[in-house]
Amino acid sequence: MLSSRLFGLCSQCSRAVSCRGFPWRTLKGHSRLQYANFTEVQRWGTNVVPKRLSHCDLGDLYDNISVQRYVQKLMEEHRIISRKLQHDHLSDSDRKALLKKHTELLPVADVFGRLEQAQKDLEEIHSLLHTGAEDEDQHLTQLLKEEEDQICSNILALRKHLIKALVPVDRLDPSDVVLEVVSGRTTGGDICQQFTREMFDMYQGFACYKNWDFEVLNYSPADYGGLHHAAVRIAGENVYRHLKHEGGTHRVQRIPEVGLSSRMQRIHTGTMTVIILPQPLEFDVHIDPKDLRVDTFRSRGAGGQSVNTTESAVRIVHLPTGITAECQQTRSQLQNRDTAMRVLRARLYQSVMGKETEQRHTARKQQVGTRSQAERIRTYNFSQDRVTDHRTGYTTRDIKEFMRGGEELEELISDLLEHSEREAVLEAVEISGWVKGQPAD
Amino acid sequence: MWWRRTLSSRCRCCLGRRRSGAKWIWSFHTRPICSAPALPSGRITALQALDVWKRHFVEKGVTEPEQSSQYIIAHLLGAKTIESVEQQKLREFLSKEKTEQVWQLCTKRLSRMPVQYIIEEWDFRDLTLKLRPPVFIPRPETEELVELVLSDLQKHPRVAETQQTCLEVGCGSGAISLSLLKSLPQLEAFALERSQDAVDLSRENASRLGLQDRLKVYHMDVIKDAERMLGLFSSISVLVSNPPYLFSEDMASLEPEIFRFEDHAALDGGEDGQNVIRQILTLAPDFLSNRGRVYLEVDPRHPPLIRRWVEENMEELRYMETRHDVSGKPRFCILQKEESQGPRGGSGLRNPDPITLALAQVATASARLPPPDSPLLKINNFAQIVSILGLHF
Repeated sequence: MLSSRLFGLCSQCSRAVSCRGFPWRTLKGHSRLQYANFTEVQRWGTNVVPKRLSHCDLGDLYDNISVQRYVQKLMEEHRIISRKLQHDHLSDSDRKALLKKHTELLPVADVFGRLEQAQKDLEEIHSLLHTGAEDEDQHLTQLLKEEEDQICSNILALRKHLIKALVPVDRLDPSDVVLEVVSGRTTGGDICQQFTREMFDMYQGFACYKNWDFEVLNYSPADYGGLHHAAVRIAGENVYRHLKHEGGTHRVQRIPEVGLSSRMQRIHTGTMTVIILPQPLEFDVHIDPKDLRVDTFRSRGAGGQSVNTTESAVRIVHLPTGITAECQQTRSQLQNRDTAMRVLRARLYQSVMGKETEQRHTARKQQVGTRSQAERIRTYNFSQDRVTDHRTGYTTRDIKEFMRGGEELEELISDLLEHSEREAVLEAVEISGWVKGQPAD
Repeated sequence: MWWRRTLSSRCRCCLGRRRSGAKWIWSFHTRPICSAPALPSGRITALQALDVWKRHFVEKGVTEPEQSSQYIIAHLLGAKTIESVEQQKLREFLSKEKTEQVWQLCTKRLSRMPVQYIIEEWDFRDLTLKLRPPVFIPRPETEELVELVLSDLQKHPRVAETQQTCLEVGCGSGAISLSLLKSLPQLEAFALERSQDAVDLSRENASRLGLQDRLKVYHMDVIKDAERMLGLFSSISVLVSNPPYLFSEDMASLEPEIFRFEDHAALDGGEDGQNVIRQILTLAPDFLSNRGRVYLEVDPRHPPLIRRWVEENMEELRYMETRHDVSGKPRFCILQKEESQGPRGGSGLRNPDPITLALAQVATASARLPPPDSPLLKINNFAQIVSILGLHF
């Protein structure tokens, strides 16, 4: 069984070598996943191309002609730069710039080189296998076949690596984040506040699952156990990379447990907003102390020894932009001020970054992550026991397990990341060649 | 008897610290009776207790009614702030003992006792300090003073000194010294404090924080015991203080939390608020190493006055700068000891004979004579003159 699977792989592999464009099917199967057929257009940027989503695998992109052209282009660039660095006489700044570009292209060049080598090896083996007469040594044939299998799977992996190497690096990926949850507004009842608290618990669970540091900066509970808004700092490995697509409006649909609606089985809808702010390093955001106004209880009067209060809340206002941050989490005014500064820094950074992303003008936008705050990104339907992400169509069951913030959330996030990486590659391809959007399949 | 118990609880909150000897004075005419709400007969939740006491504090005109009840009840539930208590816990019924504790502590607040004294602790930067009346409660401005010292030390590390030392005048609960010690593992600290209560509390806090090996607290008055201090400390890198700096005339208008419970001697700085400040600056050159610095927290009106006084009276101290607190008020003065011009230094003498050397020493030493109004001039023998002037024969 195993060998036939390998054989299957191998035959497809050889077909792929000889005639490109054969789409790969992956062998992964998720019984829980269902994908909706989208024919709606407005979600997919300005390209008026209806797309049917298949379970995406980055390896698919290898067969995309534009992608291949893009790779060739990169390789050409790499060759030119290498030659220049070796032979030409360059000024210091030129050399520095070229070296930087060279280092950026190195991973792609490396994988491409290995891939070419593997393909050459495969062709050699093929020629050996097919030119050999029938009465060749059985043992030798067996060995060659094994070698062929190995090289085939190697080539598969290398293709995936190549595409992965094409994904533009988001230099914010390894950052820590400030995560804020804000309850939406309701006309009545506290469905939003309850949902906000459940989301807070979910992210807390996720941070625990990923072994991240979860530090509460601000926590404002509402009545009856709900949550108005809260801010936490999550620190660890690649936090921003995992959480960057969580930002946006999340919608909840459930039948309340008590009250008139419960008896009538009427579904209530509520929303809450998650805000993800990457935490920049100190020098990324330069804040002039003169631009800040710090409000504390002691601002009035002489202060100092003549006043004794327990009020330690601090609010910092960045005067040029009007962005504020406040904290009253601890009993020490200084600690509250430090925390508020951190949040302010993150918010300022976000507003600066936000302006940068607006300036991108490709036709194909990175679908995941540039939605405005008002558009809902995910729906949590408790009465039907499913969670649906509207950007990719990913749906999962067992909402109770999902809200624990463990493996289920991780899977959804992985899926989102793959989608966004795929889009990022395609966008990079487009920018380089200004080829008008060709569907990937 | 139940009535005596109620009476005594009323009395306790009214009389506060004004107990005279062992006799209880059962007079209700001296202060208005501050009556606490009756202990609930049934069980209540923390949320309900918060509400009851907040409303009561508002009724009785107690400042910060909501925070007071929140901090007290959070403390009894084992947390520092009410936000960090789980929602579940707040809605559970309190035990009988817990309820009594809540009532006992909140009743103290009716006498305007500061929350920090009621729960006997408070946070200062990253430390939690034990606090007891009448020892002065650290203020948020002083947190900034510590930040100032730390950032200054980081910017200009004194490489010459193998051991960095700091001296605090008037350490109170030990907040400044302990905070510095915690942040600088290499630092050694000395502290002077005139109140025995404060000396004991500082030592207790040092022990609780595990810093007792690096902090030496001296029970001394910087004005009355000035002679004893000479020669006791030398080559100190940093002299830091939050001295009493209020103007005497402002003492009467202090709010009850401060006036009734905190040590007035820790607040009153004299007619112009600078009595202790001047004394510290007078003694500073004796204690400090070359280019050692003085950091003071002062009243917003003081910095220009202090600058002028130092320029007129202290040759060895240079006023470096004034820094502002987070509210934008001038709050911190930084001064530095100038390079001392010893006989080896700038007197320009080469191979002087002993008599000339002695005369040169007297000449430079006379520049270090304390100003006329300083109590240091209470000298009564030659040995003291010699030691004051730092002469060597």
